[in-house]
Formats: sequence, C-alpha cells, structure tokens
Amino acid sequence: MTEFHRTKARDAHERVYRLLLRLHARSFRDEFGDAMVEFFRDRLAAARTTGGQRALLRLWGRSLGDLLRHAPASRLEALRAAYTDRRDRRDAARRSPRIHHARREDRMIASILQDLRYALRALRRTPAFSATVLVTLALGIGANVAIFSVVHGVLLKRLPYEDPDRIVHVAHQEPGTLVSEPEFVDYRRDAKAIERLAAYRSATVSLTGTNVEPERITLATVSEGFFDILGARPLLGRPFIAEEEQQRGPRVAILSYGLWQRRFGGDSAVIGRDVVLQGTPRTVVGVMPARFAFPSPDIALWLPMRLNYDTLWTRNNHYLEMIGRLAPGMTVTQASLELNGMARRFMTDFPEVYSPDQPLVAVVTPLPDLVLARTRPYLTAMFGAVAFVLLIACVNVANLLLARGETRRRELAIRTAMGASRARVVRQVLTESVVFALGGGILGLGIALGGVRAVRALAPADLPRVEEITVAPLVLAFALAVTLGTGLLFGVVPALRGAREDAAESLKEGGKTSSGQARGLGRARRALVVAELALAVVTLAGAGLMIRSLWKLQALDLGFRTERLLTMRVAPPEAQYTGGRAAPFYETLVERVRAIPGVQGAAAVYELPVADGNSMWSILVNGAPMGTVANSPAAMPQTVSPGYFEVMGITVLQGRGFTAADRAGAPLTVVINETMAREHWPDRSPLGGTIKMLNEQSQWATVVGVVRDVRSNGFLGRIPPTMYFPHAQAGQSAYYVPSAMSLAIRTRGEPEGIIPAVRRIIRELEPAAPISRIRTMDQVVAESVASRRFTTQLLAGFAALALLLAGVGLYGVVSYAVTQRRFEIGVRLALGASQRQVIGLVLREGLRTAAIGAVTGLAGAIAVTRLMRSLFVDVQPADPITLASVVGILVVVALVASLVPARRASAVDPMRALRAE
Amino acid sequence: MSPSRPPAPQDLLPLRAVDFLILLMLAPGERHGYGIMQDVAAHTEGRLELEAGSLYRTIRRLSRQHLLEESSRRPVADRDDDRRRYYRLTPLGRRVVAAEAARLRALVRLAEAARVLVPEPARQGAP
Repeated sequence: MTEFHRTKARDAHERVYRLLLRLHARSFRDEFGDAMVEFFRDRLAAARTTGGQRALLRLWGRSLGDLLRHAPASRLEALRAAYTDRRDRRDAARRSPRIHHARREDRMIASILQDLRYALRALRRTPAFSATVLVTLALGIGANVAIFSVVHGVLLKRLPYEDPDRIVHVAHQEPGTLVSEPEFVDYRRDAKAIERLAAYRSATVSLTGTNVEPERITLATVSEGFFDILGARPLLGRPFIAEEEQQRGPRVAILSYGLWQRRFGGDSAVIGRDVVLQGTPRTVVGVMPARFAFPSPDIALWLPMRLNYDTLWTRNNHYLEMIGRLAPGMTVTQASLELNGMARRFMTDFPEVYSPDQPLVAVVTPLPDLVLARTRPYLTAMFGAVAFVLLIACVNVANLLLARGETRRRELAIRTAMGASRARVVRQVLTESVVFALGGGILGLGIALGGVRAVRALAPADLPRVEEITVAPLVLAFALAVTLGTGLLFGVVPALRGAREDAAESLKEGGKTSSGQARGLGRARRALVVAELALAVVTLAGAGLMIRSLWKLQALDLGFRTERLLTMRVAPPEAQYTGGRAAPFYETLVERVRAIPGVQGAAAVYELPVADGNSMWSILVNGAPMGTVANSPAAMPQTVSPGYFEVMGITVLQGRGFTAADRAGAPLTVVINETMAREHWPDRSPLGGTIKMLNEQSQWATVVGVVRDVRSNGFLGRIPPTMYFPHAQAGQSAYYVPSAMSLAIRTRGEPEGIIPAVRRIIRELEPAAPISRIRTMDQVVAESVASRRFTTQLLAGFAALALLLAGVGLYGVVSYAVTQRRFEIGVRLALGASQRQVIGLVLREGLRTAAIGAVTGLAGAIAVTRLMRSLFVDVQPADPITLASVVGILVVVALVASLVPARRASAVDPMRALRAE
Repeated sequence: MSPSRPPAPQDLLPLRAVDFLILLMLAPGERHGYGIMQDVAAHTEGRLELEAGSLYRTIRRLSRQHLLEESSRRPVADRDDDRRRYYRLTPLGRRVVAAEAARLRALVRLAEAARVLVPEPARQGAP
C-alpha cells in the first residue's frame, strides 16, 4: 500500500515541477526540459531516501528559488535572441508569427518575474516584518490544511466500496432498532427498490490455537451477497459460496488483513488452514484486503450466516443489520417507502409481535451517511474554526502591510513618477502579498504535515477512516488555492491604497503621511482590528460552549464510583462453562481476586456500565398472565455476581443487594433500578413484586431491592429500565447464562498494580480463557468522551490562536496610534498630564476598540453557535456564562495588548516629542 | 550567434568558479547533469549545490562556447533513460580547464611567496 502512495505522490511532485518549468523560455525548455525533469526526479529520489518530509520541503524550496532566479534570465536571453534574430531578418518578406508570439510571452513573464524579484528583495530587506507576516500566515494556512486533510480523508474521500452512494444500510427505529430473521427474509424476498439485501451481525468470540495466547476478537457473521453488495473481493482465496451458508455446510472463515498478518505472518499459504473459534476449527477460504473494514475496523474475520428456514428465529428477536444495493434508477426515498409499506404489512399480519404504540419503522440510510453521520458536525465545527483563524491571520497581515505601505509610499511614488502605470504598481504590491502568501503557504504546509501526523497519532478511536488522512494531491491543491486566495485577500487593500497615491504629493511631503491620511488609515486599520476581534470572539464562544459541554458531561452523575476501579473481560470457553458451570467459576475467581493484597472488593458483571449496552427484553410483571410481545413491557436484563452493587458503589435505595444466599435452587430474586421501579410501581414499594422474562423457560423472580440508576452504553443515552439477576440463578430467571463476564475490582492503591496477580489467577483457573479490555473505569469513561474531548481541545487551541492573533493585531494598531500621537501626548505631558493619565488614555482607546469588537462578535457568536447546537450538551448556544467569560478574556487580552504601548506613551519625553515635529 | 571559429583558450580566462568546477568534473569522463551536481557538491563539502536551472543554463553557455558537448554514448546502457543527457569536454574545453588551473596555480604560488599562505608539502602520489 505504501508503495502505491509513493508512486502516486512522486508523479504529483513531478507534474507540478513540469508545470513550473513553463516559466523558462520555450527555447531553453525545448532543449533542456526533459533533462531538468530527470534531474529533479533524481533529487526527489535522493530526498526521499535521506530525509523524508523535511528533505522534500527543502528540495522544493531550492527548486522554486532556482526557478525564480533562472527563469527570468532564460526569458531575457530568449528576448534578446529574438531581437537579434529579427534584426537579422529585417529584410525577409514575412516574420514568423511564432517568433512574435514567443516574444510577447517572454516579455510578460519576464516582467512578472521581475516583480517577484522585487518582492523577494523587499522581503529580505525587512526580516523582522517578513518573519511576523510569514509566521502569521503559516499558522493560519497550516491549521487549515491540516484540518482539511482530516476533512478530506474522513468525509470527502470515497468509501473504498464499489459505488458507495448506491449502498444503503437498513435498520429499524426504536424500540426494535435492528432486524429479526423473519423480517430480513421477507424484506429480501419482496423488496424491489433494493436489488440485493444482506444481513450481518457482529459478535465477540475467543480465538484459540496451539502455542498462542487465546484472544478475544470481533467477527461479523454475514449472509449471502454481503461482499458483492459492497463490491469487495478477497485479496486471497474466494468469498463464501452457497454451500457454506447451508445448515451443516463446511465450516469456513474469511480473515481480515490484520488478523492474517498477526496470526499467520501474512503467509499466502494460509488458505486451507484452520482457525479455532470458541473451540471449533474453521477452514480459512479467503483473506480480505487491508482497506476493507466493514461493518467496523475491528472486525478480525467473517463467517457465513446460516439461516435455518425450518425454524427461523422469532420475529421479535431483532439482532441483525442489513445492507443492500439500490436497484438501478431507485432512490433512498423509494426504498424507504417500499420497506415501510412492508413493515406496516408485518404489523397487521403479526399483531401479537408488534404493538401499535410502537410501530415498526424501517430506516434506510446511505452508507456514507451511516459511517460519517456522527463525525460530520465535529469536523464541520473544526473546519469553521480554522477558517476563522485564517481570516484573522489575513486581516492581521493586511493590517501589517497597510502600516508598512506608509513607509513605502516614497518608493511607490518614485516608481509612478518614473512612468510605472497604476496597474503595474497594483500588480507589484499584489505580487508581494502573493510571495508572502506562498512563503507562508510553504511553511504552513510544513506545519500541516506535522499536524496531520499528530492528528493520526492522537485521534480518538472512534474517528472513522483515520488511515485515510494524508496530505493528498487534492489537499495540496487546496493548500495552493487557500494560499493564493489569502495573498489576494490581504493584499488587495494595501495594493489599491498604493495605487491611489498621488506621486507628486507624496514626493513633496517627503514620503511622510499627512494628518488627514493618517486619520483615514487609522480608521481603516481599526476597522480591520474590530473585524479580527469579532471573529476571535465567535471562535472563542464556540470553543467555550464545547468546553462547558465537556464539563457538564464529566460532572454527570454516573450512578457509581469510577475511581480505583479495574475492569477486564474474561471469556472462559463457552462449551465448557454452560448453564450452571459459569457462576461457580466466577465465584471462585472473585473470591481469589478479593484475597489479593490491595483489593477492596471484586465482582463480576455481564455488561459493564458506560461501555456496554444491552438490548431490551419483553417481560411480565406482578404475575400477569402470559401475553404477547406486542402488549408486554420491556426492560434490560443484567447479570451480576453477589456484592456487585457494593463494589461499584451503586446505592441500594430499598431492600437489599445480592448475597451468596441467592444461589441456584434458592428462591429467585431480582433487583431493579429506579427507572424501572417508577415505571411499574409508581405509587408503592416494588419490594415483593414479581418479574418474569417473556418466554416459557424463565420463571417468576421476586423483587428484593431497588438500586440507583447507572449510565449504560455511553453518556447520553436514556437510562433504560434495568433488572439485575444473580448470576447463579440466571439459568432459571434470566433466560441466558453468560459465560463471558467483566470483572470489576476496587483497589486501595493504583489499580494497574494488581493486573499481573489477576492474570495469574485466571490462568490458573482456566488457561483457555482470554483476558481482554483491561482498563480502569476512569479510562472507560474517558474513552467514551474521547472524540468530544479531542474536538474540544482542538477548538480551544484554535480559539487561543485566534485570540493571540487578534491580540497582536490590536497591539499593532494601538502602538501605531501612539507613534502617530507622539506630538499630542508630548503636549499633554508638557501641560501637566500625569503618566497615569496618559496610560489611561491609551488603555481606553484599546478597550474601546475591543468593546466594539466584542459586541460585533457576540452577535456573530449567537448566530454561529446556533448552528453547532447538536454538539452541545445541556448548554444553550447563547449561554450567558460562556459569553460573559469570552468577553472577560477579550478584555484581559485587550488590556495586555494596550498596556505595552501605553507604557511607552507615558515614557514619551515631551521636549523631544515637540522638537521632532 | 555562435562564433564561426573557436576562440583561443586564453581569451576565455578567467573562468567563473562554477564553470571551472563543472568543466573539472567532466575531466575524468562523461557525466550527466545530476552526476555533475553530485560531484560538485561532494568536492565542495556541500557548499555548492547546483539546481537544475543554474546547472543547465551554465551547460548551455559552456556548450555555446564549445567547451563541452553532448555525448551520444551511454556508458551504462541498461539502467538508463533516453532523457538522461551526458556531457563531455571538448578538446578546447580540456585546454581551457588546464589553462585555468595553471592560472590558479600561479596565483597560489604568488600567495605563498607573499607568505599569505603556508606552502603545502606535495603529497605522495598526488597529481
């Protein structure tokens, strides 16, 4: 894969260079162009082997410099040759039109290149000024290019499937959410708008083998046509065939590229070998390419799905997802209409399954939207923020150029007086800004390369397609466009001002600014700074609201204590730990873990809070007679070991938690959460009430306790009614006895310290049980907000950058004003004004500008943050606390930015200031 | 525009430093552009790194002065591209480099005589 990228990138570099060679005269190009490309290619290869990105940047810097120096020269030579040539042929009957053409082109390019050389000379003459401008631009452009790389890689690049826009994902609205087997079979048979439909589901299983650690992997079970719909072919071997999807067909598997590399060292002879899943060997028939990662990047292998048409599982058991390819000419809307028509038919045909209160609604989503829906608003917000940073940078640079334009008035006046046309002056000034922009662009590209690397390293795990984030050719084109656009944007105001200059007047004044002009200029610059400050306020407000949202999330009561809580998933072989054998294994395990020094308590749980969620099951309450799915309530079952509530710190509000007495054979017990208590026993104590899962096997269990609500499945989801069953009784009351459970271990000291001891105990008890997802609860919580935290940090960083740039801009304007008003300040001081009064004068001026910026910015912030509403948690877009803090920060920055010039003003020596005029 | 008759070596002296270096690199045998640049960089400890534009403009000038010419021969046939151009010294070029080197040697002797430079003992086997 890297090889492929290399070749492509190499072509792109070369293409650009070849294009730039056109700057040279045609005659020179014809003679040496190919050789120069060859030369460049050699240098490129050398740069790649030695120094990577930095060497590449250096190569480009040198090559551009070389072009700039020698292309004008070659043009001038060609020009001279053409003149000589023409003189030689003066008597010839006709002049070749081609020579004429070449001459005009040469003349134009020579003059443009001359402008470039002026610009470079100007740049070198004022290094401090140039550095300020370049750094400002580099930061703005760099941030933009980096974020655009992310946007391009994640959002814009096509998904690596055939015709991805024609692929749809199909599921149901809550409460069903997913699709049951009979529903899938019906949809697949009858839907016309969808050409092909396949079902899939993910599961976590143990992968074992001789001489290797057992590991937990995620796999996808997929029905016939799955790979075809995505347009994916295996890298090695073949997709599943019909025979393998039959009951009792051969047991086969297709490996992911990652698993193939990891377990088989990328051996191409892997086809035909076995992998052992949950103790059952399966023959490898194929390996998928590295880029294929559906339904999720962590899928390690794919198995064929076997539907048993004789005993299709109940319609009520929604556990499948579907993907399909739209039939030719059909749209997502048409598909959605058709499937929903079918769903309504299901509801009338099977009234015992579907309740009219909770209708079955099919949701058809184009695949790209499904993959990117969650990420898009975050990236859009970031892109908006960097665009603002760039605008601020532009305004800042425009301001700097305006200020410098004043000192250069004499030079431009002389040029005009010597016969340069206005257009020529405008072009020269614009060329200068474009040179600045290009310089900033090249530096910015360096920053972007670093930025992209950082994003790839630091990106949260749930950012899709991280591996696609590169500085691609399109990104380079974007960088170039942004750079040139930037150059024109900040150059146009100073250029027009330069051209308006009356040469004679300027020369008469000795190139000094008259007071009227100074006032006009001051106004223009102040307007620019106000715009800058306003943009900074908007960025700051957006970031502030995100920070507030993050705080609110972190302050959210989870319902349990997260500190010093170690968690891990243990999965003993399912075949050996079915039914009654699972609970004793965990009892022994928990008991031995409790004995480890430093452990306060330990328990086992099926679904870990925050990290996992579970599906809802239909139940019966208080001895109600057996009903149908349609008219039964639902709740989330959870299986725990005794002592779970105590270890987690989940408060028992009524009754009791579980003890060792709640064993198999003892009276069946259940503990429910507050939400469930409210739902079913709104006005009396639920203790003594009874619950039964809606199926023949399960028996009634008595409610013995009520516990506080706990966040499950992320932070923001609604807390479902939850019922806790003791693990030992799960076979009788909870329908399903899990063999894979999570351990929750509360420690006295650092939780990480006891990991080896726990591992050892599990190894001793069951060597074939893989241990996975070893994390502290704090990590679990942090991971669940990682994406949001990442975005928030970046936004805060950009806001800080915006504020810094705006502060620098304000500083520039205030200190310029101080210089302009030296005489006035001198007079004031001479007339007895105190230094304190002078400082106050300047500070007031800075604050006034900041205040106008703040007011404008607040209006903008209220408008813009409204668009970000979907990203906020529990915070209004016009949150007064955030907006007030933003204004506060701005005032502080304005004070700091004005204080330095203010102190300088107060130090003015009145005598000198007055004499200087 | 090219002079009808090649000039005498002495008319072309002194050579520009870059010209001298490029011609000198061609003295042992034919080189292509990139090779010349590498040699120059190596012999000047990387202080002089020629870029394509400056190199090929110099080459064009030197070839118009008949000091070097393009060679149609390909020293290593198999790994070469048609686009790669090889250059070699013309007999005139060789005489000019030698004359320039002699001129420089005379100058160095002068500097040594003036005790500006400590004479370097001749090394064994050095040309």
